[in-house]
Amino acid sequence: MSNIRIGVYVCWCGTNIAKMVDVKQVAEAVGNMDDVVISKDYKYMCSDPGQELIIKDIKEHKLNRVVVSACSPRIHELTFRKALENAGLNAYLFQMANIREQVSWVHVNRKEATKKAIALVRGAINRVRWHEPLEKRRVDVNPATLIIGGGIAGMSAALEIARADKQVILLEKEKELGGQLRFVNRTFPDFIPTSDFIEPMKDDVLHHPRISVLTEANLNELHGYIGNFIGHIQTGAKELKVEFGNIIVASGLKPFNPAPMENYGYGKLPNVITSLELEKMLQTGEIRQTNRKLPEKVAIIHCVGSRSSQYHEFCSSTCCMTALKYSNQVLDMLPNSQVYQLYADMRAMGKGCEELYTATSRKNVMFLMYDQEDGLPYIRKAGPKEDCNLLIEVNEKLSGERIEVPADLVVLMVGMEAHEQAKKLGQTVGISLCGNEFYIEKHPKLDPVATTTDGVYVSGSCQSPKNISDSITQAKAAAARILATINYGSVEVEVTTAHVNEDICCGCQTCVRVCPYGAISYIADDRVSRVNEVLCKGCGTCTTSCPTGAISSRHFTEKQILSQIEGVMLELMEN
Amino acid sequence: MEFEPKIVAFLCNWCSYTGADLAGTSRMKYPANIKIIRIMCSGRIGPTFVLKAFREGADGVMICGCHPGDCHYHEGNYKCLRRYKLIQKYIQQMGIEQDRLRLSWISASEGKQFAELAQSMTEVIRELGPCDIKSVMETFA
Repeated sequence: MSNIRIGVYVCWCGTNIAKMVDVKQVAEAVGNMDDVVISKDYKYMCSDPGQELIIKDIKEHKLNRVVVSACSPRIHELTFRKALENAGLNAYLFQMANIREQVSWVHVNRKEATKKAIALVRGAINRVRWHEPLEKRRVDVNPATLIIGGGIAGMSAALEIARADKQVILLEKEKELGGQLRFVNRTFPDFIPTSDFIEPMKDDVLHHPRISVLTEANLNELHGYIGNFIGHIQTGAKELKVEFGNIIVASGLKPFNPAPMENYGYGKLPNVITSLELEKMLQTGEIRQTNRKLPEKVAIIHCVGSRSSQYHEFCSSTCCMTALKYSNQVLDMLPNSQVYQLYADMRAMGKGCEELYTATSRKNVMFLMYDQEDGLPYIRKAGPKEDCNLLIEVNEKLSGERIEVPADLVVLMVGMEAHEQAKKLGQTVGISLCGNEFYIEKHPKLDPVATTTDGVYVSGSCQSPKNISDSITQAKAAAARILATINYGSVEVEVTTAHVNEDICCGCQTCVRVCPYGAISYIADDRVSRVNEVLCKGCGTCTTSCPTGAISSRHFTEKQILSQIEGVMLELMEN
Repeated sequence: MEFEPKIVAFLCNWCSYTGADLAGTSRMKYPANIKIIRIMCSGRIGPTFVLKAFREGADGVMICGCHPGDCHYHEGNYKCLRRYKLIQKYIQQMGIEQDRLRLSWISASEGKQFAELAQSMTEVIRELGPCDIKSVMETFA
């Protein structure tokens, strides 16, 4: 008789799963499979009582394998592994079946969804039977941190880490620190001059004994793993080799170029400028038309390149409030002028922002709404008889009329977009891009700071467009995460590595050639290959290449996957 | 009874499995014929898994990995691509139509593409009808 004792738990996830999957039927259907000792359903397996249920059953029923059929393992695999550990069972004697993201949320027929859920759970049961306990490994952490990007996010993180007396290498691709904020005159909603905090911050960073700033520098190559990275950094003609334990990517974004949008005539019509060009004027203290006259009518057009099916679908998040800031700044400098706001939707979330909107709307500012689906505003030169330079034709949404807005100066609120280099840098450090070319965080809710590569964190606008305070919040969170690992001194690393059965290895060295990490070497004296498990990241390509089957990938063994395939196909028998 | 294709999909953990999860969080819909098996990298996929799936009665097999250049393990997807071509030749020699095995690149942000792929794969296999290789394999087993 087998000594495998499996407990199966089917989660309702409230109604998320239970609405589309008959969870009771799933639990019943797998309950009579070999080695399954108990099979239950429960409302929220990830809740404390849900985990307690597993822990209690492990002890009471002497379970030595657990299957939880719930959400994606990307969400709660670690949660349940911890529960197993709390019950004294090795964390790897566990398997999840994803019946939420990959069943209940994507299917519409309850019967079919239930049938598929049963198949997936059977696959998991078949697989878990072959799971082996794996011992966690820890590696020492190099206390130095590499930060890529010297904008507000990168500098905030650098100072946070340096103030804890840990070394920081700060890379900036430009000649000077400061990032996009170098081009911004004042903040919203509080009108603080950015130089008030950016300049002292740059000064602190440049003079901090624990921060080495490398400007006009890029990361060419990255090797190693969490705690022990080696980077090849290009500065001018030199390439430096630097060692560090963690990385924060804070590489920022860039403004959208509105030139391809013909309706705005940017670059062709005089006095059509971008928000950044207005910032320059605000910085010099003079808002003037190209003929040096003061503008009497200033129009500000929102959502240029943002929330558009043609350019960028996302909201750049800071432009609405920046546009309100401009209204106030323009009226301060030109008290007799009229300001028009051509907006698509006014997004005033965040502390003090709704108040800014209310206060601005009481001033000499006219708010006109347009609908991007109903045609974008069109700018043309005004005739000689008009009392303005430019006319903006727009389908005003609230009145339902096509109107002409007079303007001497038009400001395009250009959206933001990812850097051209974002993709290349992402590939170098091993993080992926979302559809809008911003970096993807490890988890959008539960871990918005880490990435799928251990030891690599993201901060600021390279992850999504952000305002100053959100960038700083994320940067400091990343810094805190890194300081925690440095403080502990070591981190857990991948245990699902490859290993060689040296009795079967024929020494052909195929594995040595396919390993992307140089983790396998041929030991000439023993005429076998051997895996350096610190370098191995567990991709499994060596296992698949091995002609004799001498290599196996821990937790993704041939037996485990083949059994899972058998399990998911089991339903055939019933037809 | 109408033929319901059985399709096994091997998805790499980093891009494609995450993309399939995104299809779920975005509440996109696709047929329940696709059963996903998670592996760390498409470079882990070899003929054994594909043939096993057909042997167990799959009418179609999908392999999904990161887009070229985006592999979490640098180049596993390229190795997968090479093996895929060989497996394609092999299954055709066995008498399995080439459309029953498909390799696609699905990034972590391509939930929509995954749902569409699942839909189209199901339709293609539905058109092809059941894969009878299981009985052939059993005859020679």
